[in-house]
Amino acid sequence: MKMFARLGASALALSLAAWPAWAQTRIDFFFPVPVEGKLAREMTRLVKLYNESQKEVEVVASYTGGYDDTKLKAQAAAKAGKPPSVVLMSANFNVDLKLSGDIVSLEPMLKADGTTREAFLKDFWPALHANAVVDGELYGVPFHNSTPLLYYNKEHFKEAGLDPEKPPRTWAEFVDAAKKLTRDGRHGFTMPAGYDYLGWLMEALTMSNGGRYYNEEYGGEVYYDQPSMLGAARLVEDLIFKHKAMPQGVTEAGGVSTAFFAGKASMMLLSTGSLSFIRDNMKMPYGVAFVPKNVRNAVPIGGASLVMFAGQSEDSKKAGWKFIKWLTTPETIGGWSRFTGYFAPRISAYEKPEMKEFIAKNPDAKVALDQLPYAKPWFATYQTVAVRKALEDEIQAMMNGKKKADQAIKDAQKKADEIMRPYVEQTSLKLP
Amino acid sequence: MRMRRHLSAALLAALLCAVAFLWAAPFLWTLVASFRPEGAGSADMASLWPAFAPTVDNFRNALDSGSFGLYYLNTFIVVAGVLAVQCVTVSLAGYAFARLRFPGRDAVFYAFLLQLMLVPPALIVPNLATVVDLGLYDTLPGVMAPYFASAFGTFLMRQTFLGLPRDFEEAAAIDGAPWWAIVWYVLLPMAKPGLIAFAIVSVTAHWNEFLWPLMVISSPDNQTLTIGLAAFTRGAEGGKEWGVLAAGTLLVMAPLALAFIAFQRRFVDSFVFSGVKG
Amino acid sequence: MSLAGTTGVLDAIRADAASTAARRKRRLRAWLLPWLLLAPSLFFLALFTYLPIARVLVESLYDRPHGTGAAATFVGLGNYAKVFADPAFRQAAANNLVYAVGVLVPTLVLALSFALAVQRSTRFSAVLRTVFFFPSLIPLVAAASLFFFIFLPDVGLLDYYLAKVGVSGPNWLGDSDIALWSVIGLTVWKNAGYYMLFYIAGLQNIPRDTIEAAMIDGANAWQRLRYVLLPALAPTTAFVLVIALIQLLTSVDHVIVLTKGGPSNATNLVLYYIFQSAHENFEVGKAAAATLMSVAVLLAISFGSLRVMERGAGTDR
Repeated sequence: MKMFARLGASALALSLAAWPAWAQTRIDFFFPVPVEGKLAREMTRLVKLYNESQKEVEVVASYTGGYDDTKLKAQAAAKAGKPPSVVLMSANFNVDLKLSGDIVSLEPMLKADGTTREAFLKDFWPALHANAVVDGELYGVPFHNSTPLLYYNKEHFKEAGLDPEKPPRTWAEFVDAAKKLTRDGRHGFTMPAGYDYLGWLMEALTMSNGGRYYNEEYGGEVYYDQPSMLGAARLVEDLIFKHKAMPQGVTEAGGVSTAFFAGKASMMLLSTGSLSFIRDNMKMPYGVAFVPKNVRNAVPIGGASLVMFAGQSEDSKKAGWKFIKWLTTPETIGGWSRFTGYFAPRISAYEKPEMKEFIAKNPDAKVALDQLPYAKPWFATYQTVAVRKALEDEIQAMMNGKKKADQAIKDAQKKADEIMRPYVEQTSLKLP
Repeated sequence: MRMRRHLSAALLAALLCAVAFLWAAPFLWTLVASFRPEGAGSADMASLWPAFAPTVDNFRNALDSGSFGLYYLNTFIVVAGVLAVQCVTVSLAGYAFARLRFPGRDAVFYAFLLQLMLVPPALIVPNLATVVDLGLYDTLPGVMAPYFASAFGTFLMRQTFLGLPRDFEEAAAIDGAPWWAIVWYVLLPMAKPGLIAFAIVSVTAHWNEFLWPLMVISSPDNQTLTIGLAAFTRGAEGGKEWGVLAAGTLLVMAPLALAFIAFQRRFVDSFVFSGVKG
Repeated sequence: MSLAGTTGVLDAIRADAASTAARRKRRLRAWLLPWLLLAPSLFFLALFTYLPIARVLVESLYDRPHGTGAAATFVGLGNYAKVFADPAFRQAAANNLVYAVGVLVPTLVLALSFALAVQRSTRFSAVLRTVFFFPSLIPLVAAASLFFFIFLPDVGLLDYYLAKVGVSGPNWLGDSDIALWSVIGLTVWKNAGYYMLFYIAGLQNIPRDTIEAAMIDGANAWQRLRYVLLPALAPTTAFVLVIALIQLLTSVDHVIVLTKGGPSNATNLVLYYIFQSAHENFEVGKAAAATLMSVAVLLAISFGSLRVMERGAGTDR
């Protein structure tokens, strides 16, 4: 079926190409989504909608797995000379991709539209600006964003004698609740510890502990070996080994949500991006809350922005920019936000009546929105993935009882510094 | 004594059944789960017992998530293309090593056999660069090219030819037949079992190939079944629809499974051939 | 000499010249033919086996830092040193050893056992044969996805049924002590049935008389196995060993889909390490060095196994 559609589209494109004014530009669009299946299908539907709504651009959408996989595929394609035009890229890869020359600055597009970066970004939540801008230029347009949320099982809370309407707000309350909720066959708390997720959640815990995780203005420094992160690591370590409220070992996100649905875990830290998935599948009453704080309320944003890869023709760039603008209208991202649980990056999206109605009907979506003032940029450095894995490998070893928290973060810092050294030697250590 | 023998035979049979059940369990689950209605959180989703009203929603969702028809076509093209070229290269090379004498034959044969271990994915980084340089990135021929020469196939065909009696060839040679006629009309028909064995190994291997096509293919139009299926399992921030996954897996397995059940005899017999007298 | 005689001589000379030419042509063809026949194979081998090795050799001698704007520098054996010093690589190499033995031994034992169990041609045996062989028909990626569910803590297939007998399963994929064994389990499940077929073939090729003779001599099942069957199956075992080794050293699909080398490198394998270095960390020099080292190991194994196979095959030239 699709083949005939493609043949038909090519025939159409060929015939239209004979009329330069009507020439259709084909562009490739790579996208990841957090919940395969439902969300991938919805994105495919949106793309189809766009293709049918106009004749100048034809978008060929390709679902490329998770965030790391999408980066891998996009960069491999670029290296092979066939870069995708638009990629929905994890919001924190912009620094990495700009340094490697893979993505292009969107400033020329803004100029052609007669607007400036400040005017353009005004409609986007302030927390998102830092990740979208690199070295003073706009590189990505935020599409969907998230923060981590504490999901908790209200029924289990009642059973344990806790108030289901008063979720834990501090680490002390949190650990207390986790201990009370743990019983035979059930853990009080669990969280995803697979690659990419673990780094994000460690950032959340470190920030809640007053820390920074990385240098927001310079991609060559990370702060693993600091008290703020040590505290966060110790919290996780204690939950597993001292309080026995969290399962030992690494559980992937798919396993965490499954455990939550099955009532095997009473609380979990998970992204707002999975909110609608949880809503659809959680049969017991549940609530959402801010990430508990120790020193302050602070969380990293997550999610993805639309970037354009280098190495494409001017026509392709123009077509890609058109598509990006369509995809990020307040209506479209509002609809996507309601469908997924991600929050819409545009402030104006929340002025729309549909959105107001939705928030009123779904208080859990409101919590994510309320946490926004405390949201900070996602960590982004030189070789973001490798630097992140340096930490994740150590924390995973800690969660398996192979290392103590103190040793883990020290080793992580050493590894990360080694990975970033080539960059550091070309920048801050390069003396005249 | 007789009792003990019966008892141990019965125990053995029971053990066998248990192991067979273990072996089949994953497939049983796939079958059951693909028809199970969506309830991602039910604690019983691992149950092998179908206590529910079956639904085809999972299949519909799986089909929506990717153009399986296209994936099937692409995989078929790759598998058939590779096999077609391989048949030519391995028959010619096998004949050369089996029947012709020439200086350096042994050295070249060893050089061939190097490829036995150095399968394309092992050299994935430079091979990808080569494919890009040839302009074959993101094309099906790019996926097929590294496999056109097969050390395993050459070895097999050489083995096969060596095992054939020379009388027919000699008779044909006396009658003045040129080498290619001998190969085509005399040798190949007799070597059919070997070729079939090789074909089965090749088809199975390339139907299931993942890493290499993953790196070579970029656009969805050229994706093969394995890539399409893997996309199901690699979602990012954390949800999984197990029913859809099971349905998708079933869709990928189906043709090979059906072919196997239909041609079981042939399949097994050619393995009998293909290997091994050693 | 008569005219006829001269003509005869001329004819003879002409015939002789013709036959020399023909002989020369035949010799040329005889020399050329094999190379013509081998040409297509050699072409592709050169392009996708020998050329890559050369490229990798050159690439491994340079350091190309990614995204820093610095130029590539010649570092000689520096990349090799870096690879050896990388704990991830050392872990991957160690894992590969454990993985190789952990997969080969059970696979061969099971393959032989299955073959012995199903060699009779009853309907029951046919069903068993199908059941054991089925896993090799599905892509490793598909098997990995299934096993992701099977290994899921608490609600996955394993834990669900283990719980019914009161056993609590460990974190199959998330416990760094067990994860590699879970991956090994998956690989054994997938491949045992495939090698079973080779053993069935091997068993069928053992002449009945040998076995009957042993039975007449009073040998019981165990003794028959040890002294008659196993030696007779030696060539089969050699062959299967080689094929199995190739397969397990060169396929990491399940690692890519299931664990991505984690947790903390517990399931990292050399090929995956190479893949990661090249495509995630863009450390091409290191990836090339690691590739060359694994190529060297693979070649050594090739030569070793060639000896074994040739001996077993007992082919004459």
